Amino acid sequence: MTHKEHEHAHAHIGPATYYKIFAALMVLMFLTVGAWWVETVVEIPRALGVFIALVIASTKTVLIVLFFMHIKVSSRVVQLYAIAALFGLLFLFVITMGDYIARGWPPQLGPLP
Amino acid sequence: MATTALPGHNYLQDDASTVGAWFKSWFLTVDHKRIALLYLLSINVFFLLGGLAATVIRVELITPQGDLLSADLYNRAFTLHGIIMVFFFLIPGTPAVLGNFLVPLMIGARDMAFPRLNLFSWYLYMAGGLFALTAAIFGGVDTGWTFYTPFSSTYANSNVILTIAGAFIMGFSSIATGVNFIVTIHTMRAPGMTWFRLPLFIWSSYATSLIIVLATPVVGITLLLVAIERIWGVGIFDPALGGDPLLFQHLFWFYSHPAVYIMILPGFGVISELIAAFSRKRVFGYEFIAFSSMAIALLGFLVWGHHMFVSGQSVYAGLVFSFLTMLVAIPSAIKIFNWTATLYKGSISYRTPMLYALGFMGLFVIGGLTGIFLGIVAIDIHVTDTYFVVAHFHYVMVGGAIMAYLGGIHYWWPKMTGRMYSEVWGGISALIIFVGFNMTFFPQFVVGYLGMPRRYHVYPEEFQVLHVLSSAGATILAIGFIIPIIYLTLSLWTGKEAGNNPWDATGLEWQVSSPPPTHNFLEIPVVTTEAYAYAPDAAEQDAANWRPGSPL
Ligand code: HEM
Ligand SMILES: [Cu+2]
Repeated sequence: MTHKEHEHAHAHIGPATYYKIFAALMVLMFLTVGAWWVETVVEIPRALGVFIALVIASTKTVLIVLFFMHIKVSSRVVQLYAIAALFGLLFLFVITMGDYIARGWPPQLGPLP
Repeated sequence: MATTALPGHNYLQDDASTVGAWFKSWFLTVDHKRIALLYLLSINVFFLLGGLAATVIRVELITPQGDLLSADLYNRAFTLHGIIMVFFFLIPGTPAVLGNFLVPLMIGARDMAFPRLNLFSWYLYMAGGLFALTAAIFGGVDTGWTFYTPFSSTYANSNVILTIAGAFIMGFSSIATGVNFIVTIHTMRAPGMTWFRLPLFIWSSYATSLIIVLATPVVGITLLLVAIERIWGVGIFDPALGGDPLLFQHLFWFYSHPAVYIMILPGFGVISELIAAFSRKRVFGYEFIAFSSMAIALLGFLVWGHHMFVSGQSVYAGLVFSFLTMLVAIPSAIKIFNWTATLYKGSISYRTPMLYALGFMGLFVIGGLTGIFLGIVAIDIHVTDTYFVVAHFHYVMVGGAIMAYLGGIHYWWPKMTGRMYSEVWGGISALIIFVGFNMTFFPQFVVGYLGMPRRYHVYPEEFQVLHVLSSAGATILAIGFIIPIIYLTLSLWTGKEAGNNPWDATGLEWQVSSPPPTHNFLEIPVVTTEAYAYAPDAAEQDAANWRPGSPL
């Protein structure tokens, strides 16, 4: 960030950062594949496997949103919109899961392991 | 084209000397006003096509037997009707036509923030429409506009993919318009145009855009998943493949309930403008109306499960959705009460747009209140998937959204074209529409309550009276829709010149000439007053000066 003084007018992210983020994403991709591989050889609870996969995927998403989509250097309103979208997703997931968990599943098919 | 010259240099005039240049000046225009006219024409064509499908449905339902269409063809007819009306008329309708034309004018800007994106959104809309129409020409779709799985993803052997592609592309057109509105309203307001001086149409367009931007991507992905399951057999929604059909309903209604507010919120905005202008008063409770739009945008995201009460969703989820549904009706009620309070002691003039606004208020109340009936689980279990639901949503979508759209078109027509239309025909057709509408859809509440299921082309004899009544009403309604097309078109040649402000209304759009100059404002205006700044005694003065035959 060389033009500190103009940061508001045209804040931008340099190529060096892009490459670093790209490298991080590649590492995370290998982690995803690695986690799948580990799951095929080692016996771990399914919930834990899903949790780990979700953590890795969310990390990737956050990196992309913050850097590639410029949210980190955007104005407050744009950041607010990004957060609003997250809240939208939260509503979708929480309420839908609420239905799934409270549904009258037969015990042998329960929604959670 | 005009018999008498319209004022100065306006956006409709062409300097184009060749046909090619003329085409370019319209089809590559980045002027928000011209884009609005492109949308006006194309959206109305889709409305007529959707109306044609509706005619086929109503003709079939005149007799209890299926004598015009087979069951399969009937499925395709109502699906075509639903898809065209929802995705290609109601959702883009008011925002893309009136919103595109008015947002920059109302906030004192020279254009949208992203004029090229604006043009692009029209091309996306046309491309989406082309896909949907191609699907219809090559046999159509039989899933209903809701594309429920696993029927749509596995069993239907009609043009599901093509249609889904059409809706998917059209979604991006919506998003482009929404983003454009949000950025324009945030960044391009004229000096002095603070948030609380904005016309209420702008507030409602803003709330609509918020919903569009947050909800539309979800339906896009959902439709894509249906296509993926259909093409590659990946198990997402089909239980036979390990998927879950209710997941589709969750995802679909997560968009489609907010989408009903995409259809009605811009209409609310139009009604606020009309009620103020024709009562000659500031809208009562301005802030409440503004914030109720935002509240609807937020709460609208929390109630989708009221479409799934009988789907097998958890009864506890149903309970919560039922309760939240009661909440979402509150902001709509706030608006209705405030408009009614605005009328009180106003100087009301029954010009054509006001007739639509008053019709809207009555019909939307019926539609909204029957929505509350449906939101109560015990009642919904009795009437879900019957004509009662059909009547409910037509009261809000036709009686609400289309009435507001027509009212808005009549109100801003002089601004868009520079000419007045025949007030007599305007009033007559508004009344015909009101009568035809009620005659079409009120019997559907009754027949639905008595047990007539939706989406069936044969029915027991005892329902015939009500169905015939409904089809007869639809004929009247159709006549009511065709008359405005005729007199509005004629007005382009024969209409009186409107002048800048034919309704004597407030608002920046009325301060520029009609039709507005290409860049809207020769000088960017400075705003010093609140919206709807009618003199406090404007209503009383009007009443005192009124003589039989005076125009306002
Ligand atoms: C006042 C607030 C409203 C409430 C409480 C409400 C409630 C409901 C409920 C509970 C249903 C489901 C009925 C069933 O399938 O059994 C429904 C269906 C529907 N509503 Fe509303 N509604 C409201 C306003 C609106 C508005 C403003 C629109 C559109 C402009 C709309 C459009 C629809 C549509 C299209 C359906 C049927 C969807 C389908 O199954 O094809 N509603 N409404
Ligand atoms: Cu709904």
